[in-house]
Amino acid sequence: MSNFPGSGIVKGLAVTARNFVGSYFEKDRLTTEQYPEERPVLPENSRSFPFLVYDGDDPESGMRCVSCKICEKECPPQCIFIIQDRDAGGKALKRPKVFDIDISVCMSCQICVEVCPFESIRMDQDYELSAFDRFAPLLLDKSRLLKPNSYYRRIHPTEAAETDARVESERKKKAATAAAKEAAKPAPATEGAS
Amino acid sequence: MIGMIERAPVELLGWFLGLLGSFGVPSWILAVVSAVIIIGTIIGVFLGLFALTSVMERKILARVQNRYGPNRVGFFRWRLCGLFQPVADGIKMITKEDIVPRTADKVVHFLAPVVMMIPALMVLAVIPYGRDMVPADLDAGILYFFAVGAGTEVAVFMAGWGSNNKYSVLGAMRAIAQMISYEIPLVIAAIVAAMIAGSLSPSAIVAAQGGFAFGFVPQWFVLTPWGFTACLVFYIAALAESNRSPFDLPEGESELVAGHLTEYSGFKYATFFMAEYVGMFAVCGMLVTLFLGGWQAPLPFLAVIPSWGWFLGKICFVAVTMVWVRATLPRLRIDHLLAFGWKFLLPMSFAAFFSAACWHYAGRGPAAWILSLAIVGIPYLILGKSFSNRFAVSRRTYQFSE
Amino acid sequence: MKFLGDWFVVLPAAVLLLAAGASVVMRNLIHAALCLTLSFIALGIVFIALGAEFVGLVQLLVYVGAVAMVIVFAILLTRPDRLEKSRTPFSGFGPAGGAAAGLVALVVLLGFIFSSPLAKKPLPAPASAPAAAIGEALMADHVVALIAIGVLLTAALIGAAVIAMEDKA
Repeated sequence: MSNFPGSGIVKGLAVTARNFVGSYFEKDRLTTEQYPEERPVLPENSRSFPFLVYDGDDPESGMRCVSCKICEKECPPQCIFIIQDRDAGGKALKRPKVFDIDISVCMSCQICVEVCPFESIRMDQDYELSAFDRFAPLLLDKSRLLKPNSYYRRIHPTEAAETDARVESERKKKAATAAAKEAAKPAPATEGAS
Repeated sequence: MIGMIERAPVELLGWFLGLLGSFGVPSWILAVVSAVIIIGTIIGVFLGLFALTSVMERKILARVQNRYGPNRVGFFRWRLCGLFQPVADGIKMITKEDIVPRTADKVVHFLAPVVMMIPALMVLAVIPYGRDMVPADLDAGILYFFAVGAGTEVAVFMAGWGSNNKYSVLGAMRAIAQMISYEIPLVIAAIVAAMIAGSLSPSAIVAAQGGFAFGFVPQWFVLTPWGFTACLVFYIAALAESNRSPFDLPEGESELVAGHLTEYSGFKYATFFMAEYVGMFAVCGMLVTLFLGGWQAPLPFLAVIPSWGWFLGKICFVAVTMVWVRATLPRLRIDHLLAFGWKFLLPMSFAAFFSAACWHYAGRGPAAWILSLAIVGIPYLILGKSFSNRFAVSRRTYQFSE
Repeated sequence: MKFLGDWFVVLPAAVLLLAAGASVVMRNLIHAALCLTLSFIALGIVFIALGAEFVGLVQLLVYVGAVAMVIVFAILLTRPDRLEKSRTPFSGFGPAGGAAAGLVALVVLLGFIFSSPLAKKPLPAPASAPAAAIGEALMADHVVALIAIGVLLTAALIGAAVIAMEDKA
């Protein structure tokens, strides 16, 4: 009965009809993600362009970057531009005044992240960076690059946990040495008094 | 109440004409106004159906292919499941630049979409849309339908030739060969219905399918062996005449770009597209009239739904099956297409014709039914077997690898 | 309405004559073929306007749907614009000679038409179902002619197929 002439067409029509009806009732048939409403879930290690991390609430005071300019020197296409901040007297401060990244040049190689000694520059995952002009809007300045540590913890949980652990252990070590120095200091003072 | 809904369109027209007549408008102007209103309504309904079909076809094809169709274009804030997509398509088509090749034959190139649209709209005049709702009740209505429908072939040729593009000419010639080849089974299948009904007038053919056997079985021609065969032959030939998949060789994207439509852009392409869909609906309407009982309800108690509602529903059902067939079957190559038309469809249409005649002369009783089934079934099996044997795949032997 | 009825015949007849004349005069062969198609359509409308609906519709179906297409295919497939202009013994007379020959043919034809016995008979009343009446007349009174034409057409088809197949070999 299966090679009855025309049976192939009828079987094909049945398959098509099953697909049509199934697309309304079976949840996993339609794999389309409706884009602006449903965003794709990116893997944790995906990256787009760098951003600067700051601790606490205030971006300017909590900024981890000390303007050591290692990332500017190591960047292969040289898309980072840093000017160190100076105080009123001309002394160099440990913060950048200008920190520009040109994302039309940046190739997302992550070298700046690897060489930063202060855990301050990390890779972002934001890809919705379209602009209406080719040049000026794609030059991200310091205000656009600074994002809080809570954001970093949300997009890269394991990396952020590791970084936080390291920062925490550094701080504990510094506090321990400071406490040890404090403990060693008062003995000559009391001897001098008496 | 039911009668009022049923008669509503005709009564409304009559009331309006009476109103105008009471203002002293002469009778010939009334005739012209009546014709304009009827024509306007038909064109409005069919162009609305065209717009709706273009989006429903895309959505049905998409669901069959396990994806969403167009589901964004709506009205202000409401998405409306993308049903306003034809509006967006229309705006796009109108605002596109109209490119005419420099060496093209300007008059012929310009007139081709017009000449395509005219027969597609003219054939809508003889289809009965409901009880007493034929715009032009011609005695030879079926003949008018096919005679005017033959005008589309001239338009296809003009489109292909006027573009001054050898691929367009080639595509046009293939399209015309396809249309001429499938016109004969189309006409013979229609003649089967006209023969049994005893008249070439569509309203008489619909009336011949009236009544209910055993009180509840409709006497539509599709429910008889010869009628079922003739309906299938008509359906397949109609798919070929309106260049729809699986016979859409003339206009598939991967076939000679777009065949005879290559050099058309913007509104002219939209006109061709519209003419093709309106032609598809017209031939669906003729199929419903000839074989599916026209505007009649399938069961006696379902006559509460008005006759024009049944007609619309049946046309939409046939159109949905055409979309279903498009989603299922691959495109036929030109030699397969022509071989199928001449070697399978034409003999089957003759078999249906002969079967209908034998059914009639054997007295239309049970013996007649069995005889007509045999006359249709045996050629079908023989032809089907011969076709499938020709393309049977045998075990491969590699000559030089042993 | 009779005045309007006359225009329904006169206008398509005028289009028919103009299109036929244009198709003879035009240089571009495809334009000439399309003008000929227009003249076929006009002739069909003239038939319908004169009350012979069946003949008019069959004229449209056969001539416009099939014969015009065959003419067009023949022109496309044979590329006649490549052919050299042939000289016949009558080529020296030019368009005036052609017009004179056409006029003579017209006078002779009109003479035959008006002197035929058919022109003197009164027109019969049109049948209530013209298609059925034509069908019955063909099958009952003129069945021999019908079958003879069918045999002739079959012979022509088979002959054409044989000639085409021989060309391939």
